[in-house]
Amino acid sequence: MLSAKAHHRHIRALLGLTVIAALLLGTLALLQARTRTAAAQTETPEQDPERATQDPADNANCLLCHEDSAEEIVFPDGSTLRVDVDPAALAGSAHGIHAEQELACTSCHSPARYRYPHPPPEGDSVREYELIQAQRCERCHVDPHITSHPGPESDTPVVCTDCHGAHDVATVEAWHEGQPVGNCVDCHVAAGVELNRRPDLQHVIDEGLFAGRIDNDYCLSCHTLPNLSLQLDSGEILPVTIDENRFHASAHGTDNEWRLLQCVDCHEGYSFPHEPVVAETLREYRLQNYTMCAECHEEKYEATLDDVHGDALAEGNENAAVCTDCHGAHYVETPDEPRSRISITCGQCHGTIFEEYRDSVHGEALLEESNPDVATCVDCHGVHSIPDPNLAAFRNSSPQLCGACHADAELMAKYDISTQVFDTYVADFHGTTATLFNAQDPDAPTNTAVCFDCHGVHNIKDPQAPHSGIKENLLENCRQCHPDASENFPDSWTSHYVPSLEHYPLVFLVNWFYRLIIPATIGGMGFFVLTDVYRRVRLRRKGAHGDERAD
Amino acid sequence: MTNEPTEPSGATEPTETTGMTEPSETPEMPEAAEPSAAAETLETTDAAEPSEVAETPETADEQEAGARPDAYPRFRLGARIEHFITMTSFTVLAITGLPQMYSLTSPIARGMIEFMGSIQQVRLIHRYAAFALVLGSVYHVFTSVYRLYVKRERPRMMPTVKDLYDAINMLRYNLGLIDEHPKMPKFNFGEKVEYWALVWGTAVMTITGFMLWNPIATTKLLPGSIIPAALAAHGGEALLAVLAIIIWHMYNVHIKVFNPSMFTGWLPRDQMEEEHALELERLEAGGDPWPVVPAPELGRRRRIYFAVSFVVGAVVLAALIWLFTFEETAIEVVPQVTREVFSPLNATPAP
Repeated sequence: MLSAKAHHRHIRALLGLTVIAALLLGTLALLQARTRTAAAQTETPEQDPERATQDPADNANCLLCHEDSAEEIVFPDGSTLRVDVDPAALAGSAHGIHAEQELACTSCHSPARYRYPHPPPEGDSVREYELIQAQRCERCHVDPHITSHPGPESDTPVVCTDCHGAHDVATVEAWHEGQPVGNCVDCHVAAGVELNRRPDLQHVIDEGLFAGRIDNDYCLSCHTLPNLSLQLDSGEILPVTIDENRFHASAHGTDNEWRLLQCVDCHEGYSFPHEPVVAETLREYRLQNYTMCAECHEEKYEATLDDVHGDALAEGNENAAVCTDCHGAHYVETPDEPRSRISITCGQCHGTIFEEYRDSVHGEALLEESNPDVATCVDCHGVHSIPDPNLAAFRNSSPQLCGACHADAELMAKYDISTQVFDTYVADFHGTTATLFNAQDPDAPTNTAVCFDCHGVHNIKDPQAPHSGIKENLLENCRQCHPDASENFPDSWTSHYVPSLEHYPLVFLVNWFYRLIIPATIGGMGFFVLTDVYRRVRLRRKGAHGDERAD
Repeated sequence: MTNEPTEPSGATEPTETTGMTEPSETPEMPEAAEPSAAAETLETTDAAEPSEVAETPETADEQEAGARPDAYPRFRLGARIEHFITMTSFTVLAITGLPQMYSLTSPIARGMIEFMGSIQQVRLIHRYAAFALVLGSVYHVFTSVYRLYVKRERPRMMPTVKDLYDAINMLRYNLGLIDEHPKMPKFNFGEKVEYWALVWGTAVMTITGFMLWNPIATTKLLPGSIIPAALAAHGGEALLAVLAIIIWHMYNVHIKVFNPSMFTGWLPRDQMEEEHALELERLEAGGDPWPVVPAPELGRRRRIYFAVSFVVGAVVLAALIWLFTFEETAIEVVPQVTREVFSPLNATPAP
């Protein structure tokens, strides 16, 4: 009984286990089946009535006729097309036996259409036929790569098959090895279109067509074409031809310390075909593009935002200089070589001022003698953070600006210019005021004359030269601030002379008077005081009698 | 040199009538005798000039001090007020002036200017203080005239030959060459030097200061080089004055022995004895500190003085205000010359 009971229990357990196992297996099978279906669905190409998933083995059917035929299709316009296909070329092509998925004839030539007997071919000419057939490439190659060739919408389109061939489509490897380059040459010769940069063709193909990031030669293959330009809405012409040699000689060019700058370093994300230019005017175009410089030269760019040009631009003055106005865009050269380049650069926009400067003592030396020391525009105005010269701070600090050179004894010795000019100015009422303002309240507007009030701003002349105008105009100059000044008044300024018996003897004598009288008086008083101290000390030491008398 | 606007306060010693204090006379009286002498003097003074405004406030002061046996009257309140004006304006002038002089070379000077606000502020304060100093000097002239004309004081600040001898003897005494301390009058040679130095200094500073303040007007009459010369003199004289004050004045009235007379009006006996032995003898002999003028005569002279000085004073005050607002030397702020700066020479080059 006991054993029978145990037997039953075993059978039941076995049954239960079997049911559970079956359920589990069923679920697994179901899941697997589902995954398979899903996989199958994703693998299935989009349903296209013309697209077939034919077995390449079926090619034999087609090749029965097409392998070795001398037949030609005659198009309505009279052009002809041979119908034979080389099976070896087909097999060796990118779509052939080496392909990931070998294509059948019917993969491209849809079986719906290519049943035998074939209907008449599409198109009125071989070319039209080719254009129509080439569209089939895009069924698989949905995102054709960049090219600089005109597309199908053009009157003279260049389509996929023109370069890649039809049945003998070249593999990627073949392109890298340069095999199809002949196609380009042949086609260009046939079309009568000059093939730009022919020696670089292979490079362009490698870099431009297959690289992720296009390189300069790719861009330059078009942009070295002469007289390439765009017309903007304003009617202005934006030239886009680049002088390759000048570019390579530029600061960003081949000798650059960093590396040859790539077009796309600045023209970030550019590819062909380009996005349309949205600027309406040339100026607008430049203002849209100069910020590219900030990518590398951020510090300089930021400095310009707060300077006189940046402020003017922010206020809406489109003429305000931006990076490329001074430095150029593609042909950036070392801005201070030769040194005169600096002032000439500024002169591009500040023409009137430049003309004044050119005739000044500084300008003449710079532009005619290539003097290495005279002030150029930027020595006084600064470079990227140019302050507004109309601000009080500029006026107040200007003597220090001039003094930076004119108080430098070593520098001035070269030109036999006295450095006393600075000291004597600063020691004078005007100079002291300007110095103190600059030190303590630089932004406060002053009524004190600074160097340029008498010597001129950009048209500074050698004061020793005849007709320099400084002495002659002194009274007039004084009267700008001292309207009631008489003819004697200008002499109250010692004209940078240190007073001597020759120049300003009265001042010289007064100075000497006090130089003598102060030590004499104070010395005498001091002596008297010391004798008094001596007596007090002496008498105190003497004792009672001394004390009585002294105190 | 500033501390001595004392001439007017010192009344002419009526030597002919009262004083006649000879150095040979016995100088030392018993202590008890002194206060009575002083008190008598004061009483006479008060009685003689009961209505004199300048001296009325003194009474309490003098009586209070008069109780002390060991002090003698030296400066009346009017003199002390004059000293206060001069002291204050001189100090302000020095504090605002010297930093301007040394602003280029001394960071301390720059710090002082910054502390006082700005250079314009410092110049403004300097000019107000100059006005106070000049006003004080003019006031001193008026009080001097009062003392010389109304009170008929002897001009005791005038230098004499005896001052020269006093100075030499003082030096000899200090060096131990003689044993006798020279006996000096109410204003000794050192004080006279300081007084006249102040007169000279104030004159130089006022004239050169006016020139610097009004260079346009000055150069209408004088050559232009007078302005830098005035600046040189203004600076040199200032330095001389400040050094003299520090060395001479500070030593003599503060360091050597503290001299309280400019604050209290009274000088202790020991200092009187050392510095003004002749005056001490005169006072102890019953002399008046300041001359006594009979009431009717005093009243007559004062009527004349006040009438004239009111008119002259008004004119002088008007002249001073005119001089201190003399010219508009320069425009306030240099006008900005703005110009069109964008004048392109050629089109910006191609890309």
